Amino acid sequence: MNQCVVITGLGVCTPLGHTVPDFWRRLLDGCSGIGPVTLFDASALRVRIGGEVQGFDPAALLTEYPESAPEKDRKVGLGLDAAHRALVDSGLPLEALREALLFVGVSLETFLISDATSAAHAGDLSSALVALALARGGPSPLQTPLDRLTQLLGDHYGFQHGRYTNCSACAAGAQVVGEAFRRLRAGRANVALAGATDSPLNPLALGGFSLLRILSEENDRPGRACRPFDATRQGTVLAEGAAFMVLETREHARRRGARVCGEIIGYGSSLDAYRVTDPEPDGRGAVSSMTRAILDAGVTPAAVDCVNAHGTGTPKNDVVETRAIKQVLGDRAGGIPVTANKSMTGHMIATSGALEAVASVLTLYTGKVPPTINRNCPDPECDLDYVAEGCRDFAGRTVLSNSFGFGGQNASLLFRRFEP
Amino acid sequence: MRRSIVITGIGLVTPLGSEVPTLWRRIEAGDSAATPPAHFDAAPFACRVCAEIRGFEPGSYVPEGKLVRLMNREAQLAVAAAHRALEDAGLKRERPYRPEDIGLFGATGLAGLPLAEVAPLIQASARADGRFDPNRFATEGLRAVRPILSFKVLSNMPLCFVSICENLQGPNAVYTPWEGQGAQAIEAAVQALECGEVRSALAGGCDVKTHELAFLALQQQGAFASWRERGAGPTPGEGAAFLILEDEGAAKARGARVHARLSGFSLATRPRESGSKETYARILEAMGLRGQSLTAVVAAGNGDPAVEQAENEALAMLQVRVPMVVQPKKHMGDLFAAAGPAQVGLAAALAARRGGCVLANCFGHGSEQAAFLLEPP
Repeated sequence: MNQCVVITGLGVCTPLGHTVPDFWRRLLDGCSGIGPVTLFDASALRVRIGGEVQGFDPAALLTEYPESAPEKDRKVGLGLDAAHRALVDSGLPLEALREALLFVGVSLETFLISDATSAAHAGDLSSALVALALARGGPSPLQTPLDRLTQLLGDHYGFQHGRYTNCSACAAGAQVVGEAFRRLRAGRANVALAGATDSPLNPLALGGFSLLRILSEENDRPGRACRPFDATRQGTVLAEGAAFMVLETREHARRRGARVCGEIIGYGSSLDAYRVTDPEPDGRGAVSSMTRAILDAGVTPAAVDCVNAHGTGTPKNDVVETRAIKQVLGDRAGGIPVTANKSMTGHMIATSGALEAVASVLTLYTGKVPPTINRNCPDPECDLDYVAEGCRDFAGRTVLSNSFGFGGQNASLLFRRFEP
Repeated sequence: MRRSIVITGIGLVTPLGSEVPTLWRRIEAGDSAATPPAHFDAAPFACRVCAEIRGFEPGSYVPEGKLVRLMNREAQLAVAAAHRALEDAGLKRERPYRPEDIGLFGATGLAGLPLAEVAPLIQASARADGRFDPNRFATEGLRAVRPILSFKVLSNMPLCFVSICENLQGPNAVYTPWEGQGAQAIEAAVQALECGEVRSALAGGCDVKTHELAFLALQQQGAFASWRERGAGPTPGEGAAFLILEDEGAAKARGARVHARLSGFSLATRPRESGSKETYARILEAMGLRGQSLTAVVAAGNGDPAVEQAENEALAMLQVRVPMVVQPKKHMGDLFAAAGPAQVGLAAALAARRGGCVLANCFGHGSEQAAFLLEPP
């Protein structure tokens, strides 16, 4: 028999704040987390803005995670911080994690080019890089393995029931939540910690993505640069951050008297099978992932009360997503709020799906829908209700959260207000 | 398992060949693909051999030639193996399923930067004294690389290229980076079939561990420890393996040739403080293998004497009787993220040929371990 699955803990580390209350307050207030990049000298790059986590001190993690001391990959530290906060928020006894599942979403391996240039003038660059790395020794290689956070969390908390590192690009954060949900629902475990982390604000990632011409180059007005569903939008803005949630079977949460923030009832994923660089123009993959999540929940499109959109602010995504929402929700599409958190947080690649899942749960828990900021000039092709005027009270029962990834991987999650 | 799941397609691209019968013949003949690396000097590493695929031509598997230039080698191998699996299952000739009814679950290895592509960037970004120069990086550096670079580095790309080349639109997930993640991809495919979300699923993995930065990562990750300590260990290889999984009833209804039924599997985490033997035994126990007789085991033995010993002790501890033990990794190299699906594919073919139950052990580097049991349909 399928188990009901609920969310009992949330943790974030974002450009809008390190705690869930701070993040949520700023999101509802329509604050932008985007600013000039300060983590490295980006002054000569075409794109010089991003969403940085301010005041994040990796050294502060050493009390909880002494084993993270040699870590120089920011996304690992951000992930440790958010995961720890989610676990504390859940009140879960740590011994329960031994039998729990661990799901971590990531995207790019971090390659610090400044580590490599000292070998640049060698005749054989490849051999010189190897010699450099081997001479340096220690546990910190040129490239941090993508499963580094999974293994740190897994070893620290003693996860023995399955550790999963999902690298489905921008869909990873939603997929880890969906996969954890599916396994708990099927009875494979009672508890899961699921979330994602990313930090693409380094020279190679920011420089590399800027070459694709999908990033806004409005460096002189960072807070306005990401404008999902606006007619003048020019691209998305990269950001860093991490978000985790604790999922439990309803029965497990009830037995331990846990506070429940929301329920997850459906998950769907799909592939565009179109191009690695562009979404399929008719929104075929987006329609499929949303439809699958709705069917998976055993409800109909009429049950969807709000959409937390992928909403990147790129010219192509926003039109395709709008079309897809209309196709799935039909006449109801124009009558429900559609919010784009990336207008404030920026695009955190792997993390976005997990963070927007957190925001969807908070929408249900607090009865407030965050706004889509910067939509001052409506795009006629994007003609839904994007909550552009500011945050709004919300009495609905469900939120559908979309994440559509580079390469054409799509994921949608359906959350429901928890009713004891 | 709640439904009877069968394997109807096997697609392998390995250093010992791509045809399953040829591969089995070469394994049984004791052939080895291990050679010194063709493109770099392995002297700085504890391991100095690798298993490379020679003469691989991706063009015959990719519908549009220009797509090949966008792919890294992992993606090219993945597309080839997926194509072969679909062909083997008869899903290229007939189209019994809609594209959205076929799932795609896979594992990719440590992506690694394509060094040939970023070398000009590194060189152009260095000052005369070797320090990083952000101005040079932003100008000459970025001009020296192709805009598509980011897509070559994203670890999900091999699976995305598979979906594009084969028009697969169903549920999906990509895991990384070791053998256990290939096993997790198979688990995800089974789960999608069991809940009726897909009618067929392509599950597999791809990896390229035959270049210098991969060797560096393996050495720094401790995968070469046995070479240093015991003078023997895994031979890093390159390859891809994909399997077509289907509900047995659906496969029979469409008249598919069934290689084997997946009659059981178990996944477990090897905690850092615990030994391999205990984890392997826990997996085999969970599969109900205590005291059982099997036809064969496609064993995990990869050249590291400690892995072989732990595996043998786990089988002995549970009194599993196995007259035939084969160790493909010793012959075709350790394919890491592709190793799990390759082990299961080889075991399925062996079960079809020999009859009886064949155990595929996916015990490898990293914390996640698994085993699968195959039997004739």
